[in-house]
Amino acid sequence: MYVKGLAAFAAALGVGLLSGAAVAQEVKQEKQSVLGNATVSPVTQEQLNAADKNAKDFLLTNGNYAQTRFYPGKQIGRDNVKNLHVAWIFQTDVKESLETSPIVVDGVMYVTTSFSHVYALDAKTGQQLWHYAHKMGPITVYCCGPNNRGVQVLGDRVYLATLDSKLMALNAKTGEVVWTTNIADPELGYSETMAPTVVKDKVLIGTNGGEYGIRGFVRAYDAKTGKQLWNFNTIPENSVGVWATKDATGRDMHRNIQAEKDVLAKIGDPYAKLGGGVWQNPSVDLATNRIYFVVGNPSPDLDGSNRPGDNLYTNSLVSLDLDTGKYVCHFQYIAHDVWDLDAVSPTVLVNVKDKDGKTIPGVIHAGKTGHIYVHDRKDCSLIRFSEAMVPQENMWVLPTKEGARMLPGANGGVEWSPIATDPGQELAYAINLHQPMTYHVESSAYPNGKLWLGGAFKVIPSEKQSGNITAVNYNTGKIKWQVKTPEPMIGGILATAGGLVFTGEGNGKFAAYNSSNGKELWSFRAGAGVNAPPSSYMIGGKQYVVVGAGGNTQLDYKRGNNIIAFTLD
Amino acid sequence: MFRKWMICGAALLLMVTATRAETIEDKVAVCAGCHGADGKPVDKTIPTIWGQQAGYLYIQLRDFKRGDRKSDIMQPIATQFERDDMLAIAEYFSQKPWPDLGQPRAPKDVAAKAVSASASVGCPACHLDRFQGDGTVPRLAGMGRDYLAKTIADFRNRARGNNPGMSDLMLATSPDDLAALVEYLAGL
Repeated sequence: MYVKGLAAFAAALGVGLLSGAAVAQEVKQEKQSVLGNATVSPVTQEQLNAADKNAKDFLLTNGNYAQTRFYPGKQIGRDNVKNLHVAWIFQTDVKESLETSPIVVDGVMYVTTSFSHVYALDAKTGQQLWHYAHKMGPITVYCCGPNNRGVQVLGDRVYLATLDSKLMALNAKTGEVVWTTNIADPELGYSETMAPTVVKDKVLIGTNGGEYGIRGFVRAYDAKTGKQLWNFNTIPENSVGVWATKDATGRDMHRNIQAEKDVLAKIGDPYAKLGGGVWQNPSVDLATNRIYFVVGNPSPDLDGSNRPGDNLYTNSLVSLDLDTGKYVCHFQYIAHDVWDLDAVSPTVLVNVKDKDGKTIPGVIHAGKTGHIYVHDRKDCSLIRFSEAMVPQENMWVLPTKEGARMLPGANGGVEWSPIATDPGQELAYAINLHQPMTYHVESSAYPNGKLWLGGAFKVIPSEKQSGNITAVNYNTGKIKWQVKTPEPMIGGILATAGGLVFTGEGNGKFAAYNSSNGKELWSFRAGAGVNAPPSSYMIGGKQYVVVGAGGNTQLDYKRGNNIIAFTLD
Repeated sequence: MFRKWMICGAALLLMVTATRAETIEDKVAVCAGCHGADGKPVDKTIPTIWGQQAGYLYIQLRDFKRGDRKSDIMQPIATQFERDDMLAIAEYFSQKPWPDLGQPRAPKDVAAKAVSASASVGCPACHLDRFQGDGTVPRLAGMGRDYLAKTIADFRNRARGNNPGMSDLMLATSPDDLAALVEYLAGL
């Protein structure tokens, strides 16, 4: 075929074949799936419900349905963490941005890589049990890397959402595909990087695409068949809202409400291409049968001129009924956002003190703004917001053609990185970025599923960037401790009953800190960026901590392909 | 250069009108006239399509047909193809080896300037590590220098209108930085 093709067009042009084979400069390694025959224990709904008390497994992306990322085991503690060492290293076939949250079920670990590969590993030895290499469709449209953040297991099925916007169930024993469902059309800018959340035979999934003029959603699919059960549009047909002029913290956002109203009268409600992606997992309140998640930025990111109104429910906390997908409540952090300082990091359900000091069910979210927001779970209302974890300057200056400087930069504060909490200490732990940027605005019409930023956010090369790990008391909003890091942080964090927090940096450092005061107690150099959330589990009476070290596309941290598990002697 | 373009364009027009493509080889025969029988474009302002990302090639063909991307040469060619043809053509060329155009590496100071400019607007977030591209995002590493320069200029003045996001990013980057980027990318 190849020779015939060359001959055909060479002949057509009356020219001879040129000698010398052209050499590819880079060839991406194409791997085939390797099926296995693993011994696996089916996961029951009861196990998932009790994941917060289970130190043996790590069953959900963020530890449990409340998404506390608080691991209840304490074999590895403040006194002995200094003895932590590598138990095994597994190298994946894909050397690209690694954001996976390892899931562990009865000694079997499931990890994912960029381009939607899945591996089942022996969690004790790191030995590969099977490898699902997703055959990607030709059309993928995504911002910020070909990432995948993990899978979830229910029964004997492993649930995966892919970069080309498919939802899949795999056989947990073999890695074979059980069913595939198309979620949305990638040609219009839809893609998937989040791990699904599976609960009560429903697979919950959001979508990326806020940079491409999609209309965002959260959906539930039948875990057995892949059939869609309900759809919630994150952008309602009436997206205008209340013409809010101040953000959640009371700062003026400099909106020209009259100009927006004039545009609204001219073009109508812009809901159809208004963005509103959902990047991360919802938390599930099993007692009230509700889910809580945050919705990302409006499209286009920086140009608000053709999207009048508050752009509901972008940049908002939203709660739905789990069974029906019906709206329960929402709270918008930034109406009519023109900075991409949206809501991405997953919500966490914890009991919190209300304004009268009474303990009530709460939901918290760490924003790109650098604040941790604390809400009443009943009606989504804001109880308090924390001190800023990163420098804030010139908020909310409007983007200009030449570029207006404002802090935080558009990556945050807290990006998609999940936070951890330690309810006993009333602390939330967040990793932050500090990237001074200028915000530029340009105007263009909807580009049919292409990148639609409405301008640019530019890192200012001459200004120093940094990161930090911050512990915030969510009942007071005060910062308890903060550790500065040399580079902006992205990935995730884990808190443990052993009085520790574990997190990694783009320079390859992975470290444990005293969760009460931030003192560094142990560290390891992974050789590539540690930009993924850690997990922990136990096998044969030994606690392990595991994390991916594969770098990060968005911040261009050094790529690698390692899954590294650590344990004590 | 003008003469080369004339010959390339005339050959194409003849072929477009004279043949009805059947097999994939027939369908792609027309492409070699400009993009090169060995994958090396016959003119420096013509892009490399051998080894390019399939999703990107498909989207460009689609956009030429829709008129979202303007080209007197490419529009009549793309117009005769249906979506499946375009996907097949894109896949065909993506499987070819990327040709080495023999462009020199950028000097260190130019490379440093380019990397800083790239990091500032986040090029690798879409074009990925070492600018290899993926899916609908093109490979830029080793692309022809003149084509890169022309494309950036076309994005800046919005003559190329099928990716306004790229126009926005190019407009936010200084001409000096863009010149460094062109040299750097061509030499990768």
